[in-house]
Amino acid sequence: MIDLLLQGFAVAFQPSNLAFIFLGVLLGQVIGALPGVGPAAGMALLLPLTFGLEPATAIMMLAGIMYGGQYGGTLTSVLINVPGEASGVMTAVDGHQMARKGRGGAALSVAAIGSFIAGIGAVAAVAFITPALSGFALRFNAPEYFLLAALGIIATASLGATPIRSLMAGVFGLMIALVGTDPLAGTPRLTFGQPALYEGIDFIPVAIGVFGIAEVLASLERAHDMHPIRTRLKDMWLTSAEWAQSRMAIVRGGVIGLFVGIMPGAGASIASLLAYLTERRFSRNPEMFGKGAIDGVAAAEAANNSASHGAMIPMLSLAIPGNASTAVLLAALILHGVRPGPMLMTQEATLVWGLIASMFIGNVMLLIMNLPMAPLFASLLRIPYVYLAPGILVISLVGAYAATLDFGTVWMCIFFGLLGWLMMKFDIPRPPLVLALVLAPLLETSLRQSLLLSFGSPMIFVERPISAVLLVVVAFALILPVWSAVKRRRNRIA
Amino acid sequence: MSLFKLSASLALCATLIGVPSAFAQEEMRAPEGPIEFTVGSGAGGSPDIIMRTIAQIMNEEGIVENPIVIQNRSGGGHSNAYNHVLGLPGNESTLLTLASPVFTTPIVQGTDSVIDQITPIAGFVQSELVLLTTPDSPYNSLQDFVAAAKEQPGRVRIAGGASGGNDHVATGLVEKAADITLTYIPHESGSAARATFLGGNVEGHFATLAEGLEAINAGQAKALAILSAERRTEEGYADVPTATEQGVDVVYTQFWGVGGPPDLDPAVAAWWADKFEQATQTARWQESLEANMQLGEFYGLDEAGEYFAREQETFRTVLTQVGLAAQ
Repeated sequence: MIDLLLQGFAVAFQPSNLAFIFLGVLLGQVIGALPGVGPAAGMALLLPLTFGLEPATAIMMLAGIMYGGQYGGTLTSVLINVPGEASGVMTAVDGHQMARKGRGGAALSVAAIGSFIAGIGAVAAVAFITPALSGFALRFNAPEYFLLAALGIIATASLGATPIRSLMAGVFGLMIALVGTDPLAGTPRLTFGQPALYEGIDFIPVAIGVFGIAEVLASLERAHDMHPIRTRLKDMWLTSAEWAQSRMAIVRGGVIGLFVGIMPGAGASIASLLAYLTERRFSRNPEMFGKGAIDGVAAAEAANNSASHGAMIPMLSLAIPGNASTAVLLAALILHGVRPGPMLMTQEATLVWGLIASMFIGNVMLLIMNLPMAPLFASLLRIPYVYLAPGILVISLVGAYAATLDFGTVWMCIFFGLLGWLMMKFDIPRPPLVLALVLAPLLETSLRQSLLLSFGSPMIFVERPISAVLLVVVAFALILPVWSAVKRRRNRIA
Repeated sequence: MSLFKLSASLALCATLIGVPSAFAQEEMRAPEGPIEFTVGSGAGGSPDIIMRTIAQIMNEEGIVENPIVIQNRSGGGHSNAYNHVLGLPGNESTLLTLASPVFTTPIVQGTDSVIDQITPIAGFVQSELVLLTTPDSPYNSLQDFVAAAKEQPGRVRIAGGASGGNDHVATGLVEKAADITLTYIPHESGSAARATFLGGNVEGHFATLAEGLEAINAGQAKALAILSAERRTEEGYADVPTATEQGVDVVYTQFWGVGGPPDLDPAVAAWWADKFEQATQTARWQESLEANMQLGEFYGLDEAGEYFAREQETFRTVLTQVGLAAQ
């Protein structure tokens, strides 16, 4: 296997391939930083331009856009609190708070380092244990996905000042997720006969609205106290104390991200949420989470990058894409005359191992690109907010339009901006709304699929081993907070 | 493109213009400027790959000089895409990709037929389906499968791509022909259904021939029947009987085509039908058909409208039978 990997590096190190890997990761970085246009859309857009290239070169470049996008997406999450993709929501929670305190440079640096370490680890897993992991991925199906999604939804309750407020936001997210086309029956529901609502309410206008637009609206009210951040460039680097705090978060986040990423139904957003919540359990200062905890940023970023690499495992070994980006990679393989499937890794060894090697190289390039730039980007916030706000609005609304090419999305984005502003006023946390919206389709679809598989019997959740374990975890997640609240109250009375 | 290819395709064009063909008698007019092929699926879906392939051939072989852009307007069971095109009557720079959801979504949602409104241009590619079961399953033929479903109605499960999708229609046709009840479990996509099938959670799954062969060769599935009129001749499929041979009289193929917006100038429609015919005659298109085990029956301008109307009736009948058609 080492021989194959070395051959892969020989392919990837050819000068033209290196140039295209660089082009790919650079484009990914830029596309990821634009809210609305995600890596998958960017890859689809650039796909026709790769037709003149060798298949291996084309795939290396397109994959570069995919994981480069994960690095780039951090930028808007941290600096302007606009996650361009679902997997960036958890990064924004603490990353933006850090930026407000003048630690934006540190947040961006730890995100780049965390993404790098987790990315390299995940590529190593792709290289050496793909066959074993692809078998594991197939053991996850509807019942397991349902419990994972339930765990995520329950966990969002802990993302605000009080569980009640978080649950209100979460339930509202679940409600708006029901609008659209019934995912199983294919019939419209709660659309009030409006064709514009048939496809449901998308994540992008909601996230851009409740985070980006709402932030700008809120700033209008407190214009007098919006001072630009006054830190010197050299104070923006990651300190050694911050690094010590983030090291293990990166490792844990990376491992969680890899396992969630290889499940074709789960994806990077669940990975980063679970990694963030796990990290809060392990952290020495969990009270900082939500207020600018660097280990939260490190875990979320490590997890979403390793999940996006992990999605390569079912794609390469089973031709099953785990997310939109790997679906475009599969299409690219077919259009270049390569037949994806279980035999791909043996029949197209040069291409597959070249791709794996290119992912090692691409991650190194991204680290080199991002580390020196982090303080520079972060110092954008030294510009007074009055000058930044119009730019943020433009980027947000253009992003919303670009996501669907429909002007209705822009109105929806403005509506959710107003809603987000109201939520800020009433101190209702915004991440649970967005996360519930992302998790709801998985929750609903997998529950109904589970019950179809079992002909209506709920025993399916107990009979399957992995599902049974997850059920216990979900039960604990539900009971523990209630139990500790009861205990606290008793202590107070006594 | 090499100079040779360019001159060869120019020569081909010259021949087509010079020799009076069925099309040459009709008036043809080329649209101006860049062209959008509107696709209702995301990048990577079958219709997307088919349109990207043919657009690439059209541009690179010099058949169509106008730059062609593939625009994915996914969501809503292709309704985002078809509503976009229906909203552009007479527009000469947009074509709609016709895949089964363009037919089935209006039937399921109870809205006006799309096929009756667009300008039909051509149907040009079809794909047959193979019914797979897990490698360790007790069923070795479609008869075994049908017998099991007869014994325990509704207990034999099929993992499928989407409600009203091609494999749902195929399931409905098999149910009707064999007089059985199956449980069809819809997924978010064909590949999500494949994951459920490969994980051994269900008894059956309809796959395209190319996908099915990969799984069979890797020992992940065995074939029960192909829903085609005749047996395939490829290695791996030559000994798989058709459904009809096994007493279940179902022949069903997925198909894809293109149409223009309502009220498209007939001369432009005729030009496009001609260009699609030329593109499907190239060696590259034939190679792509072979690699993907697809069929290349061509329905040009004269036949496309009738062909689409016929398929629409099949969809309506089956969707009514499985209870999905809006009343």
